[in-house]
Amino acid sequence: MKLKRRTFIKALGLAAAGSFLPGCEREVHHLVPYVLPDDEIVPGVADWYASTCRECQAGCGVVVRVMEGRAKKIEGNSEHPLNQGKLCAKGQAALQGLYNPDRIREPLRRPEREGRRPFEPLAWEEALTQLTERLRKVQGPVIMISRPLSGTLAELVSTFMRAIDGELYFYEPGADLPLRAASRAAFGMDAWPHIDLAGSDYVLSFGAPFLEGWLSPVSLGIAYGQMRQGRPLTRGRFVQVEPRLSLTGASADRWIPIRPGTAGLLAMGIGQILLAERPSALPETQRRTYERIYGDIPLDRIAALTDIPREELVRTAREFGSAGAPLAIGGGAACAHTNATESLAAIQGLNVVTGRIGRPGGLRFYEPALFSGTQSIPWLTERSLGELAQRALSVVLLYDSNPLHTAPPSIPLRRLFEQADFVASFSPFMDDSTSAADLILPDHSPLESWGDHVQPTSFPTAIVSLSQPVVTPLYDTRAVGDTFLSLAHRLGLSGFPRETFHAFLQDRWRRLLSEQAGTHGEEAFAAAWAHHVQQGGWWGRPGRELTVTAAPPPLPHVPATFDGDDQNWPLYFHPYPSPSLGQGRGANLPWLQELPDALTSAMWGTWAEINPHTAQAHGIRQGDIVRIVSRYGSIEVPALYYPAIRPDVIAVPMGQGHQEYGRYASRRGVNPQSILAPLFDHRTGVLASAATRVRIEATGRPGRPVLLEPSALDPGHELLTIGKARSSP
Amino acid sequence: MKRSVLHSVSLLSVVGLVALAVGLLYSKGTADLAAQDRQPIPFSHEFHAGRLGLDCLYCHRAAHQSPTAGVPSLQLCMGCHRNMDANQPGIQTLLDHWTRRQPVAWVRLQRLPDFVYFTHERHLANQVQCLDCHGQVESTPYTPRAATYEMGWCLACHQQRGASRDCITCHK
Ligand code: SF4
Repeated sequence: MKLKRRTFIKALGLAAAGSFLPGCEREVHHLVPYVLPDDEIVPGVADWYASTCRECQAGCGVVVRVMEGRAKKIEGNSEHPLNQGKLCAKGQAALQGLYNPDRIREPLRRPEREGRRPFEPLAWEEALTQLTERLRKVQGPVIMISRPLSGTLAELVSTFMRAIDGELYFYEPGADLPLRAASRAAFGMDAWPHIDLAGSDYVLSFGAPFLEGWLSPVSLGIAYGQMRQGRPLTRGRFVQVEPRLSLTGASADRWIPIRPGTAGLLAMGIGQILLAERPSALPETQRRTYERIYGDIPLDRIAALTDIPREELVRTAREFGSAGAPLAIGGGAACAHTNATESLAAIQGLNVVTGRIGRPGGLRFYEPALFSGTQSIPWLTERSLGELAQRALSVVLLYDSNPLHTAPPSIPLRRLFEQADFVASFSPFMDDSTSAADLILPDHSPLESWGDHVQPTSFPTAIVSLSQPVVTPLYDTRAVGDTFLSLAHRLGLSGFPRETFHAFLQDRWRRLLSEQAGTHGEEAFAAAWAHHVQQGGWWGRPGRELTVTAAPPPLPHVPATFDGDDQNWPLYFHPYPSPSLGQGRGANLPWLQELPDALTSAMWGTWAEINPHTAQAHGIRQGDIVRIVSRYGSIEVPALYYPAIRPDVIAVPMGQGHQEYGRYASRRGVNPQSILAPLFDHRTGVLASAATRVRIEATGRPGRPVLLEPSALDPGHELLTIGKARSSP
Repeated sequence: MKRSVLHSVSLLSVVGLVALAVGLLYSKGTADLAAQDRQPIPFSHEFHAGRLGLDCLYCHRAAHQSPTAGVPSLQLCMGCHRNMDANQPGIQTLLDHWTRRQPVAWVRLQRLPDFVYFTHERHLANQVQCLDCHGQVESTPYTPRAATYEMGWCLACHQQRGASRDCITCHK
């Protein structure tokens, strides 16, 4: 089109008129001063309060920027030894947990079980009386399912549950219990090993997603940086073994696309080669046991079963054996099968064979942290949850745990809630499980409450982090510790001398500081307390390192079992925790929803990652809706071409598909758990989430995945071009 | 002929719309000039700062230690007004707020766009006087607005005083 001078001038005139129009708008901003000034607040000047992140179990130190009494930003606490000022996306997004419009703002009760009458609010007094009455007149067992607690809150809740003869269980989906069981089996140690990534120069990782949400992601990320770039002369190498290249794997030097469920076998093969080719640090008898167990299956057979060529197996073993400080770790995909514990024991055994236990860059064990006291609290697995659901329970207490979303419906868990006489929840959000409760006594946000967190032995320094309220509570909620103290007093239980959780916490810290720092007397304690609150906790020197004396032989190999035969169900289904949403906890925070997945650029939904060859063979175009069918149901999700996945595997991120979890998460995406078979790691009972086989069907309908790079949906454009997976034999 | 009319009309509307959008966005960040007489209480700077001779920092106490000068708390107003004649309607409104413990929602008159970082603290520390920017407060009834607070005006003073003229100083 030709632009004439006249037209241009006219356009200019209109533009000018247009820009005047907004001038007519009278937007009024108000300045609302305090009625009574707060001496500690200078308007416009930020205060930074140290606290502890509670978005995962790692317990990183944070500092929160607060202006005029409002929390505005969360950063890492640079003085905290664990995360050294760094913070992950979940930690940053915790702010949206505080201001989330879907927080439960007051106690609620469900008028009746049947029918769908909404919850109705009630006063705290009444809510506490109701629960006290229930607990007083209880006929059968009382159980509590809680997210894993730490420090003083763990002590308080477990003392309470003991006092009422109840049972307390921790439950966390995707818990790394097989890792712990394997440590017990391979080293006779009942503690989390410290993975000394920073000191290693060759990391052979069997699916461990240590740069995503595994164990303590921020501190492992720092250690990884050290391993790669922190030493002047050594750049550590990193090989990742997993059927689908994860975000962690994307940083590796080499990716070995192993057949699902065979990680332990590969470790055996590598062990076999190491023992045959290299002098071993092991005493003779132990060496022979390892030789027997690792040598159980011939190398060619291992190569065929794992779908890794023999040469690659030998090459990997030689690289591993000749490295100065090799380290073998397993988790994530290797943990998601029925033989998880055996596989991990075989993987960890590689560190024994190369003499890397208790050495820099290897696996190290430290004395358990101070006043842990939570060691004895049993953890629930999906299998034991299913068993619990078969019992006739009287009262179920639920805290910040959502098993109805994170366990597959093939385990009939709903019974647990339906058959119990009374269900009370202390959760701060309405989720799939809490919405099945009869009474809700909502907890404060972590940014509104006191608390502490004891660092597990996976980190060498002894750390007890402190949380403090950084803002006054926004709503009529109560810290769960205070709720338990009120209940204890109403029930007349002995052993709870304090009125508030804050006082209870200080009591414990009085003990800690007198034992660890020789702080005696009220005055000295008050000063020390103020110092530690300001600092974000107490930390000492690295704990005493333990020597592994007993080294029992690794567990014999057990093949993984799958649900569905390979004729009718040709693909392995591989659900994995979303790096940002985890197994769904983060789904109600819009910052995490809008965080593009680093590998596909997808956000705000669920998608399936499929090898382009497989997709094309099924007539599935990029972005089309694909139906994934297992023996337990089907889901429909948009397919994204993903060359970094084995052609016989289809992967779907977890975290979405909530029925109830506030406006940002409810009925968004699908939950891949919904089609999983009830198969478990047979030793620990943790759900074997990658043990279901599926078939896929093209629906022919185009999907609408939300992508940061929508051009990736163009025909022929692949999302990733990092080399192709080998085709299936 | 017809085509060209159509073209110019569509071009005109597109350009106009863009301008409208840009204008809207821009106006969000500018000061509200027209709000002088809409304060909930007809407060007079002339009376307080001029006739009574109160120091600016007596009420705007945060100015020397914060980016914002701050608006006095109701309690500070009441420090004097508690013992004073309450016959005037404005003061009656103030007492009313105090009894109900309800803050006065003053209308904001000075507002810099969000992309400007300004701090009172640094300016006071460098001996800039309140009246340099806010004008003769003590002789202006109601709330004064002395300058345009536009970039050229800021820069003129920065240049004169040898202050930084780096972009990053004000646009962080
Ligand atoms: S790893 Fe992230 S979510 Fe976990 S505690 Fe640290 S900052 Fe919080």
